[in-house]
Amino acid sequence: MSATPFSARPPSRPSRRTVLRGGLGALAASAVGGPLLTACGDDNSGGGGKEMSFWNFYGPSDDQGPQSKWFVSLAEQWNANNDVKVKLRYIPGKDYLSGTTLQTAFQSGQGPDIFLISPGDFLRYYNGGVLQDLSSALPAESKADYLPGLLEARSVDGKIYGLPMEIEPLAMYYSEAAFEKAGLSEADLPKTWDQTLAVAQKLTGAKRNGVMFETLPGYYQNFTWYPFLWQGDGTPIKDGKVAFDSPAAVQALKFWQDTIKNKVAPRKALGDGGGDVVSNLGSGAVAMQQSGIWAVADLRTKAKNFKYGIIPHPTPDGGKPATDLGGWAFVANAKGKNPEAAAKFITWALGSTDAEGVERQRQWNTVVKTNVPPRKSVQTAADAKGAFGEGVLKKFVSEIAPTGKPEPRFPPEVYQPIADAIQACQLNGADPGKAAADAAARIDTFLKTYQGAPIS
Amino acid sequence: MVTTTAPPRPSAAVTRPRRPKASMTKKRREALAAYAFLAPDVLGLLAFVALPMVLAFGVAFFKVDGFGNYSYVGLANYKLMAHDDQLWSSLRITGIYVVTFVPLAFVVSFALAMLVRNHFRGIGWVRSAFFLPNVVSLVVVGLIWQFLLVDKRGAIANLLAPLGLGDVSFLGTPSLALGTYVVISVWFLMGYQMLVFLAGLKDVPKELEDAAQIDGASAWQRFRYVIWPLLRPTSFFVVVNSTIGAVTGLQAFDLVYVLTKGGPARATSTVVLYIYEQAFTFNNMGYAAALTTVVVAILVLCTGLMFAFTRGGRFDED
Repeated sequence: MSATPFSARPPSRPSRRTVLRGGLGALAASAVGGPLLTACGDDNSGGGGKEMSFWNFYGPSDDQGPQSKWFVSLAEQWNANNDVKVKLRYIPGKDYLSGTTLQTAFQSGQGPDIFLISPGDFLRYYNGGVLQDLSSALPAESKADYLPGLLEARSVDGKIYGLPMEIEPLAMYYSEAAFEKAGLSEADLPKTWDQTLAVAQKLTGAKRNGVMFETLPGYYQNFTWYPFLWQGDGTPIKDGKVAFDSPAAVQALKFWQDTIKNKVAPRKALGDGGGDVVSNLGSGAVAMQQSGIWAVADLRTKAKNFKYGIIPHPTPDGGKPATDLGGWAFVANAKGKNPEAAAKFITWALGSTDAEGVERQRQWNTVVKTNVPPRKSVQTAADAKGAFGEGVLKKFVSEIAPTGKPEPRFPPEVYQPIADAIQACQLNGADPGKAAADAAARIDTFLKTYQGAPIS
Repeated sequence: MVTTTAPPRPSAAVTRPRRPKASMTKKRREALAAYAFLAPDVLGLLAFVALPMVLAFGVAFFKVDGFGNYSYVGLANYKLMAHDDQLWSSLRITGIYVVTFVPLAFVVSFALAMLVRNHFRGIGWVRSAFFLPNVVSLVVVGLIWQFLLVDKRGAIANLLAPLGLGDVSFLGTPSLALGTYVVISVWFLMGYQMLVFLAGLKDVPKELEDAAQIDGASAWQRFRYVIWPLLRPTSFFVVVNSTIGAVTGLQAFDLVYVLTKGGPARATSTVVLYIYEQAFTFNNMGYAAALTTVVVAILVLCTGLMFAFTRGGRFDED
């Protein structure tokens, strides 16, 4: 498949004079309002439309691990058959997730042509007008291949702006050794919130906490808390209006608070935080931990001999099972050098329904990483290879993922009040009812003046 | 080949610029050399500090969405601050941090300077040991302390376990997190401030101390009436420098970002962290620029007041 070539000047080697002129131009531009700092860190890998920059946090990384190799191979395959080449730029995860590289690049009009986006960031970029519509580049056959709800979460007015590369549901991981040491068996695995607190009490010791939820403020903590809100049929926003001040939110805030109050959960996680199962559950610091499906691959490579299992999130009395379906998507920059070619690359990389495309996705979702594939054909191919035939992955796909909802695409003005409520209740003993009401009031104030795309 | 002909003499019609009678004076040459040495620093400050400050002041009058779009909003960004509870909360946290960190760092580093002031065997090693934390990146400092302060299992938890305090979460408890951050900041900066005090102490004439001793002054009296008054300019520099550092320095962002990300429950959300959040999480670049301008204005005001009340650290001296 070949992408439309872009008629632009061929890339030429800059002379000293052009460099000087460019430098002065940049300085002048900054003087009329563009922050100077935005000039820093840009790799300007454009090449005048013949090359598309693809910023990501997988590859080519120094460790050259399987995920890095998958990205490198993806770019090589595309470049072998297309005039407009893809050039990968690796940005370390922490910088990509909470640093300034992406933001400063977009602010200065030097954003990448293709990049990865989480649901939490979708509206920020969409409302900023930098997401390219991928609909016309995505064949109907591909659209139909995606599981329900996934494309809708990345769409506005029926147009698709991002293609999901994976589904990452959350569950509770437990350590078999910790349960055995506490004299507990599989029959004691908690199904309700009350049981969780009681079992965690038995598992807690001088050097171990019984259960763990994320404690660090940020998008990830909100993402991991939403299932407990949904279990009581709560939601932050309903029909465009705030709905956070609800019994469901209050009880979910209280549940996390109780784990700290009862001293069965840590106030601070080890390693990379709540999602890092190897550093917390694997090290024996906790006996049960909420994390995502990615932890299966992590444990496989970094703690091979560690014995563990997973259970669905425990539910409140009368509640329903729920999980959050996280997962990143490829998006194209509408203000990039060649948005049409970028859209074609994305739909080729993630949406191809031919054998090669399905295999590429199977590799990513079940060999290189452990995800639930977002496409039916890929799930079928993975099933045929026995990827979800047994063990925790089977449980993730057959029992946990079906109870999931796509991660909400709340803009920062909605995410932040919820984050503050979670933090205040979990770690500062705030009254959950008041915290929910305060957060609702802040969200309401924002919604009254919000003019962007619909918030799901 | 050697020529013997004399060089032609210039005709009277040709006017040539008159050479100065004498070369530059020594004073002028020294001034030029001083400017030349200062130039790289001055240019760097102009390009990377002064210019961005001016730009930030300008950007504060715009709504900037983070995607290159600007719209003029006048003073709207400044008016927003009045109703921004999170801003006031972060200013309060920064205030508490300043009034605890600055005196504590002062006392500790001054005590260290007095301790290592006199020469004794291994003095170089002792001074280096105190200064060592300052040469490490703040991110690394944050990671080291995170490791030491791990709940239940960290080195500090193990040390405190016999006292029944092994369960204390220093970075996860809102009432303790800010204090922990202060202690770590002091540990990081004490070596640098100790060196500044040492330099100041070197300037205290030994004769004055000796004369006081001969007159029967006790060690405390020598410190109180000889050393302390002569150290006032140094003390003033340390206080001003650490106040500015505490509000806008690296420890106000890097350290807190690595240690707690502003948590738990916003207990360590300093004003610089809040500005960062506004700029890079909320994409409110204009509001962040306005906040920066206000923080700089507050700092300038505080520093100006310090200068005014202490006559630049000279206090009651002429």
